[in-house]
Amino acid sequence: MTQQLLSWLDERLDLSALQHFVSEKSVPVHRHSVWYYMGGITLFLVGVQVFTGILLLLYYRPSAGEAYESVKFIVSQVEFGWLIRNVHSWSANLLIFMAFVHLFSTLFLRSYRKPRELTWVTGVLLLFVMMGFGFSGYLLPWNELAFFATKVGTGIAGAVPGIGHFLLRFLRGGDDVTGATLTRFYGIHVAVLPATMTAILGLHLLFIQRQGMSVPPSVERREKAGEKIPQIPFVPHYVLHDVMWWYVALAVLAALALFLPWELGKKADAFAAVPPGIRPEWYFLAMFQVLKLLPAHIVGLEGEMLGVLGFSLAALVLLVLPFLDRGAGEGRSSPLVTVAGVAALVYMVVFTIYGYLAA
Amino acid sequence: MVPTIRAGWRPAAVGTDMSAHDGPLGPGGTRPEEIKRRTFLDLLLGVGFVSTALSFAYPLWRYLIPPAVAEATTNSVVAGKATEFKNGSGTIVKFGSRPAIVVRTSEGEFRAFSAVCTHLDCTVQYKGDTSQLWCACHNGLYDLAGNNVSGPPPRPLQAFTVNLRGEPGQEDVVVTRA
Amino acid sequence: MRPVIVRTVLFQALALAVFAVSAEAQQPAAATGCQTCHASQQSATLATPARDFAVTDVHRERGFSCVDCHGGDPAASDKAAAKAPSTGFRGKPTGALIIAVCSRCHSDAALMRKYAPKQRVDQAAEYATSVHGQQLAKGDTKVATCVSCHGAHGVRPVGDAQSPVYPLNVAATCTKCHADPERMKGYQRAGAPLPTDQREKYEKSVHHKAMVDRNDLSAPTCNDCHGNHGAAPPGVDAIANVCGTCHTVFATKFALSTHSLIFDRGCVECHNNHDIAQPSDAMLGTGKEALCGTCHSEGDNGFKAAAAMRSGIDTLKASIRLSQEQIDGVENAGMDMADQALTLREAGNHLTRARTEMHAFDPKLVDAVVSEGMGLTAKVDAAAAAARNEVSYRRTGLAISLAFIVLVVVALQLKIRSLERSTSGSRL
Repeated sequence: MTQQLLSWLDERLDLSALQHFVSEKSVPVHRHSVWYYMGGITLFLVGVQVFTGILLLLYYRPSAGEAYESVKFIVSQVEFGWLIRNVHSWSANLLIFMAFVHLFSTLFLRSYRKPRELTWVTGVLLLFVMMGFGFSGYLLPWNELAFFATKVGTGIAGAVPGIGHFLLRFLRGGDDVTGATLTRFYGIHVAVLPATMTAILGLHLLFIQRQGMSVPPSVERREKAGEKIPQIPFVPHYVLHDVMWWYVALAVLAALALFLPWELGKKADAFAAVPPGIRPEWYFLAMFQVLKLLPAHIVGLEGEMLGVLGFSLAALVLLVLPFLDRGAGEGRSSPLVTVAGVAALVYMVVFTIYGYLAA
Repeated sequence: MVPTIRAGWRPAAVGTDMSAHDGPLGPGGTRPEEIKRRTFLDLLLGVGFVSTALSFAYPLWRYLIPPAVAEATTNSVVAGKATEFKNGSGTIVKFGSRPAIVVRTSEGEFRAFSAVCTHLDCTVQYKGDTSQLWCACHNGLYDLAGNNVSGPPPRPLQAFTVNLRGEPGQEDVVVTRA
Repeated sequence: MRPVIVRTVLFQALALAVFAVSAEAQQPAAATGCQTCHASQQSATLATPARDFAVTDVHRERGFSCVDCHGGDPAASDKAAAKAPSTGFRGKPTGALIIAVCSRCHSDAALMRKYAPKQRVDQAAEYATSVHGQQLAKGDTKVATCVSCHGAHGVRPVGDAQSPVYPLNVAATCTKCHADPERMKGYQRAGAPLPTDQREKYEKSVHHKAMVDRNDLSAPTCNDCHGNHGAAPPGVDAIANVCGTCHTVFATKFALSTHSLIFDRGCVECHNNHDIAQPSDAMLGTGKEALCGTCHSEGDNGFKAAAAMRSGIDTLKASIRLSQEQIDGVENAGMDMADQALTLREAGNHLTRARTEMHAFDPKLVDAVVSEGMGLTAKVDAAAAAARNEVSYRRTGLAISLAFIVLVVVALQLKIRSLERSTSGSRL
């Protein structure tokens, strides 16, 4: 039946180029090719988020007076609402985790080297977009923890020199975190970021399809020396493998949603005292912990501002890494990048754990 | 986990007729045991896919169907059918997480108030003989406009708006936070 | 008492006879010669009254002027002429004359009807019954008179927030004298000197908090228990009645109990009179902070009753808390417990009623209410248990889904291997 459908479409749209491309497409096989699947899992989780997010949209209300109650309604009154909401919350965290795994694997394998610089750049931008999704989505249940975490987070944005105050007001929809902030974050979460993500993700996937999978420098050297690197066909081998990983991710999500349900907590009260030990979600925790430790003033300048500047600089370096490590494209080894990558990984793990213990 | 294949393998060139080797999902071998094993595997896979698809589809279907109570009762609640309320009566209904009282005066007019006494949060009740709202805890009394007229309550009861909605004769009594 | 009433009435008649000037006017009075002269005086004693009267005074706004109380000729600019005896000039009234001057109008119903129809006209008569009135009749001029509380020249209506007799200000007005140990020296009651710490105590009380923190002007202050013009401490047998004017349910139960026959000072025995604190469960029972132990000792019936009532209330309190925890836990797993929350609220109401019921000092009555409350919490607990079962049922359903997913993963693995095997032709 699939064949009949395909030939019907082929008669009208000429799918021969597509069919040729798909049947010719192959993926290299080597010691590190398991990391190829990380991006696919991240993509699958994005799909899960879009799907469960749209479902949540059918019942959620983005106003300070109704948001908390609507989430409570979803979780307790709508059939399987608890499942959808918990999958959405857990998948968000899993997605960002996998995005970091994907980032570090491509970094250590130098996948960003010529000709794949733009794939890397779009990828890093996607990471920022995903963290934006996480930050904006976290506020939407309008509960106590989210309210104060947003207050602290947007407050830190205000520490950026020059545009800080404008940025704070832009994010908050005013001077304080209010219902206006909620509506704004909702618009960002369901319209602005999805549109941005679609565009950047489209480019990211287009580049990958155009250029094929990158191989690590060691494998590339073997190739140049004349060795034939084994390949598997994209369809059906690689695709089935991808789908298998997706199902594993699904199993993990289902188990988490069932055994570790997400708490709703108390409704946000702007005039209540800040709960002790308030902190952002884990993917911001390492940065937050550093900002907490910085002294109020360093050589006369505000400590927080320097911290924010420092992290912004690190983000910029990450973004333009392919252009900083041009040697990798020419086959030269770049141990500095490996060292920096390991250091960053260690810092993130240590400070995230530290952040949890310090609370 | 990584599939390894004998070095030198390449996908078949375009145009090669491999149909003799084809199974439902792509090129394959032709030994009889192989075919049986493959067919069984394909069946297993098919069953797996279908069952997982169903186990997703069922919750999705139930989720999309609106629940019995259409929306969170924060701001509005349907107290019942108008015919269920007798003249000169007061009925407690659930409004969000707190009780509300729907009063129908002897002239048939509907009124609704929060049933939470403004003194110490006890639940008030309708007192037919004096046409007042009475709190049993400390003898607080309110008139049918919600005003605190006697006893410890310091403030009147919070008043709600009542509307009748629907076909005449079968109206719903809708209580809304003013 | 009767000779005092007669004397008061006589004074009123005297005042009426002396002040021939008719006290009828409607517009605010224009500045008189009295004011012009007095306001420009150096001495504060002479100038302040005139100035106060000019700024704001309820009498002036109704058209009354200096001469309506003091007599004299408002038109004359010469001091001797203005204050000649023929003008009826009386100077500054003191002692019983103050009462006479004020009640000349304020006890005249026909007159008051023209200015403030709803206002009472028996203040002077009430005053005569008060301790202040009785002392004044004996010749004691240190006691409060009309002007001590209401002022003389800048009189504001009672409803004016700056009036010394506005509910929020009453305690300060009364204790201007009553908190002054020098002034209160020599006075005694029932053989003991009068206390001067009432205001200090009152400001710690739950009534004061209600008025000041929660803006509840119906909360009692001095005059609500002691009376306005007929101010006197309530007699010991009247205390329960006084408290009972607001706390009706407690007073009724208390009146039917044995303690009403035994307690000398009624409610005050346990709750104090001026520093009435927020009551707590700790006051009941046999513990260290409990008051029952003041009279009851281990082994007597009262001791047992106190222990029983306290334990009943504690049991219900603990049960409600446990049920709340159960509701919270189950709600988090995704079950709707709004109905149970409502039932638990009813149980909370029973706790409130149990605390009321205890004033009958009969453990059987308290137990009845507590049992009903426990029945409600039991219902809630049962519903929570059912909800937990539902959660388990869901887990089973999801586990089945999980099994199918694992099946697919395994099948996929096998499929991939078979594909590779058949393509390469060799076993892996």
